[in-house]
Amino acid sequence: MNLDWLHAFLISGLFSVVVIVGLGLLLHLQLGLTRIANFGVVGFFGIGMYSFGVLFTKVDWPFGDLWAFLISLAFGTLVAGIAGLLIGWLIADLDEDGVLVGTLGFATAVFILATTEQDLTGGALGLGGLKFPYDIGSVKANEFLWLVIVSIVVALILLYVQRIHRTPYGRLLIAIGANEPLARSLGKATFRNKIWLFAVGSAGMGLIGALFGVMKRFLSPESLGIDVTLAAMVALVIGGTARVWGAVVGGFLVIGFFDIVVQSYLPLPKEWYGQAIPNLKQIVFGGVLIMVLLFRPLGILGDMRRDKLMRRVHGE
Amino acid sequence: MDLDFFSKALVIGLTEHAPLVLAAIGFSLLYRLTGLINVAYSETITLGAYFGMWLNTTFNLNFYAVLLPAGLMAGLVSVGTYFAIFRPAKRRNVGNLELIIISFGLSILLRHALQFVFGYPVRFFDVPPPHTIFVLGVGVGTFRLLAVASVAVLALALYWFIQRSSFGLQIRALASDEDLAQASGIRPLFVTVLIWFIAGIAGGMAGAFYGVGSSVAPLLGWRQFLFIFLVVVVGGRKGLGGVIVTGVLTGIGLAAMTLQFGQVLYAQLALIVAFVVLLKWRSKRTAETVKV
Repeated sequence: MNLDWLHAFLISGLFSVVVIVGLGLLLHLQLGLTRIANFGVVGFFGIGMYSFGVLFTKVDWPFGDLWAFLISLAFGTLVAGIAGLLIGWLIADLDEDGVLVGTLGFATAVFILATTEQDLTGGALGLGGLKFPYDIGSVKANEFLWLVIVSIVVALILLYVQRIHRTPYGRLLIAIGANEPLARSLGKATFRNKIWLFAVGSAGMGLIGALFGVMKRFLSPESLGIDVTLAAMVALVIGGTARVWGAVVGGFLVIGFFDIVVQSYLPLPKEWYGQAIPNLKQIVFGGVLIMVLLFRPLGILGDMRRDKLMRRVHGE
Repeated sequence: MDLDFFSKALVIGLTEHAPLVLAAIGFSLLYRLTGLINVAYSETITLGAYFGMWLNTTFNLNFYAVLLPAGLMAGLVSVGTYFAIFRPAKRRNVGNLELIIISFGLSILLRHALQFVFGYPVRFFDVPPPHTIFVLGVGVGTFRLLAVASVAVLALALYWFIQRSSFGLQIRALASDEDLAQASGIRPLFVTVLIWFIAGIAGGMAGAFYGVGSSVAPLLGWRQFLFIFLVVVVGGRKGLGGVIVTGVLTGIGLAAMTLQFGQVLYAQLALIVAFVVLLKWRSKRTAETVKV
């Protein structure tokens, strides 16, 4: 395959956009619909990534790479889902402060375990030995194929989110987010539904984490910083918390601008890329979060919504 | 486990984690009295450390001289964030959840903006090595003893201020019923600014103590934020006294577990798990409706 037209930076830039869009879509289910403020996105992302990586590299698999890969991937997703079930149970009936403590605490706990359990994770040095489950030639071709595969996974998540919006289940989630005691008094199992939704979303975040780890080929606790949670939240909030396409629009706009346009196409001095640009990126993210929530709480797509209920939920 | 272990845990816990108590007092003032979960409070702490370091290294002042100015500067920044962001947000009726996200955004913004001002490398206070004094057979630096003393003094002063003084009465009145307080002639703006200022001073001084104890880095406050928040959420129900007691016990517990496990990260992990489970248990006991 001739890939000369494709810049290597473009692949990695698009890949980070796709990953953040995926996380943003799942966060949309938790934060946008059900109003559970998950500040521990990176925790679920990380536990999926490390569970996958540890199982794949530390076990002596008796059969081919592809099967070992798929089983590890399923394992990573499952572990993140179980963690989501547990955390969901812990926080489902707590206030906003309890939810913040629980999810933030979980993300910190994952970071701590990734650092301390050196026999499994390699500690601060990191864990190598991850590879693509195929080999079609050059590094660039392999990475491009992986980008396509992950894009398909994220597209499937988008379809799933879109479906939820059109089902009674989605309306139940919106009702829980808008007024939980009311939904409960109408006989809906709010507690159980919240937990399950949280677990499914978290499992998806774990899957994305594992897919991300394959592209990085090297796992280290450094990739478990709060910036992952921040990026997903910024993408979702700027696009529109309440909208299916919110995370997609926001992700391409914000992450795309920094990781593709600024990274490869702007004529900026080289020495800026070390610290000034990443730093500026975080400043812009923080500022965007403040500005959007102050002046346009529903994000870019906000006003186009037909559903009056959601508009009322989000205070417009 | 013998007496030696306990005295070690007690002394280390009290001295090393004294800034935690101070920061928790400041955070709980905001949280209890304005109802706001201010994630950007972690940057008030960080800025306190940076201001202290800056005054200390540029003007060659010693640590004792910069402590209060650093706190005051952090207090001014804290008031500034109230006027720039949280007051407009309140006027626009932004929801609780959105307020948390806004404060999260502000936290990120300040954390990275200060790197443009103070530079990227980790900075240090320029202070002579502290004298070591032996307490119960454990060597403790003088800065840490000062931290304990000032935390004790500040805690008592704040307790007196909130519970006994007429300003404190106004603050508590405003927190419990804003309309009624306004009708009784309390100026809400003045009192709210006062709360933000005091909280900022407490946070900034805590930051200066953290900074002089190790190094001054952009993540200094954020690393402590979860523990401060845990202390306030768990202990805050019993008022300022509860926060102080929980903070002291947390410090001792962290020191004891660090000695026991030999690694501070395990102690932090155990603390997070214990506190979150405690919150869950408490909410189960006070649940107003039956879960379905």
